Amino acid sequence: MAEISLSHTFKGHSDKCWSTSVHKKYPLLASVSSDKTCRLYNLNTKQLIAILDDDTHSKAVRTVDWKPTGDFPSLAVGSFDSTISIWGREDEDGDEMEISVTAATASGSEWSLMAVIEGHENEVKAVSWSCDGEYLASCSRDKSVWLWETDEANEEFECINVIQDHSQDVKHVVWHPFTKFLATSSYDDTIRLYKQDSYDYDDWINVAVLTGHQGTVWHSDFEKIDPDQGIRLCSGSDDETVRIWKRVSGAELSKQKNGEAIPSVVREDSHSDEWVEEAMLPKVHTGPVYSVSWNKNGLIASASADGRIVVYEETAKGVWRVVAVKETTHGIFEVNSIEWWSSPDGEMLVSAGDDGNVNLWSLSL
Amino acid sequence: MSGDIINANPTVLDVSQLPTRREKYTKESAKGGQSDILLLNNLLSLSLLTPSGDLNENKAGQVTPPELTDDETEAEEEEAEDPIDAQEIYDLISSISDPEHPLTLGQLAVVNLNDITVTDPRDPTKIGEVLIKITPTITHCSLATLIGLGIRVRLERSLPPRLRIKILLKEGSHQSENQVNKQLNDKERVCAACENEQLLKVITHMLSTCI
Repeated sequence: MAEISLSHTFKGHSDKCWSTSVHKKYPLLASVSSDKTCRLYNLNTKQLIAILDDDTHSKAVRTVDWKPTGDFPSLAVGSFDSTISIWGREDEDGDEMEISVTAATASGSEWSLMAVIEGHENEVKAVSWSCDGEYLASCSRDKSVWLWETDEANEEFECINVIQDHSQDVKHVVWHPFTKFLATSSYDDTIRLYKQDSYDYDDWINVAVLTGHQGTVWHSDFEKIDPDQGIRLCSGSDDETVRIWKRVSGAELSKQKNGEAIPSVVREDSHSDEWVEEAMLPKVHTGPVYSVSWNKNGLIASASADGRIVVYEETAKGVWRVVAVKETTHGIFEVNSIEWWSSPDGEMLVSAGDDGNVNLWSLSL
Repeated sequence: MSGDIINANPTVLDVSQLPTRREKYTKESAKGGQSDILLLNNLLSLSLLTPSGDLNENKAGQVTPPELTDDETEAEEEEAEDPIDAQEIYDLISSISDPEHPLTLGQLAVVNLNDITVTDPRDPTKIGEVLIKITPTITHCSLATLIGLGIRVRLERSLPPRLRIKILLKEGSHQSENQVNKQLNDKERVCAACENEQLLKVITHMLSTCI
């Protein structure tokens, strides 16, 4: 068995920490909490960069996601107050991030509120940026998923679609890392998958409904491989299981090349994919699985109300084994979120718990 | 609450009928056959050995622990030698007021001592569970969710965070049993509900009869 060991604890939130986001390019970590704030850290120096808390949100801040593109770092923050706020460092030149992070640590005031997006009727549960930064997806207890189109500078957010297919709260939304493909998880125990229509870009087609979980699906994450090699999704549920879903047939998906979407050549007859439940990961958790994360090396990590973090490895296609288990990762508190970070020293894990802490873990395989 | 009363004529228990530590002690002693177990429990509670296994009614004859106070430091200090049992949970929630009647959840038999299960590892570093099955006064009670939420808020404020609270409707006691159960144990929904000022006001009122 591999060893998961604590590398650092980021303290500061005064209430439950719900979620984290690690920037794709820069060593930036964002964490959000019931204390209504979002905290930004430098993952290399472990220093606090900023606290985004100027009364923008009146209720718990539930979700955060760094935009993967842009000349300067920016992020979306979703709250139980039904709104989403967009923050950024407009004066930033991305190439000089190392220097600027140090500068930001000193002042902490250079992060500005760029936009507040309203539309959802009640609690926003998750936000996610598409791989090209063109779209922001959000979901809510109001059972809907909203898709917002935006520009490089986050100047405008236009709602291009409202998806209302789930019969209950939509708990989570996540984009595929390389294509315009979207997974939504719900309190109705299902996962739905959407792809962009090749002809009408504002139209999104529900290509599959994944059923099998025996409780709320809290979270899902795509495998980090080229979609041409197949698409798989892992999901964590209130039923205490983690499952792997596989797309076994479906139309070719448009791929991102140089930031431009290339429509698939042939318009498919059927607007549906065939998906199967490929595997249920070995059961370790004894509480709801609130979060799952699939890293670029193919490892999956899961986190649960039982306080455990578990790492799984695929030994043969569809066959998984547990490679590491860490108990009481946030003391006796529940763990709400788990995420991989490709650090300079290798793959690390970032977890967030009800103790308000964000823990950074190293994994020795 | 406005509108029609949902259950206008509920069965009401006399306060003196409600279970307390004192009452159980005398009742069980009187049963004769139970007295050996009770004696054993008393001996165990006096010794340094901690009795293993789940807490159940038979062990309730131990020395009465003091009321859990809001003073967290005090509660933490006493945690190690002072395990939480079903009677203590009952004491915390039976005095909650029904949102509809001027009566407590204990008097209405919405909460019952026998429907409380505590799995306490008696170790401050380990996670335990408190399972409460509530019995709404009528099977279509639309206030079941609110009552459950009131119980959850009361316990979250009073119990150490290492105890996970699970609240279920007693099997067959409600026509939307699964829906209510799902809501009452959904962490996000509970957190959001606790940020809803109107709802919190109602719950505060329900908890105002708690000691």
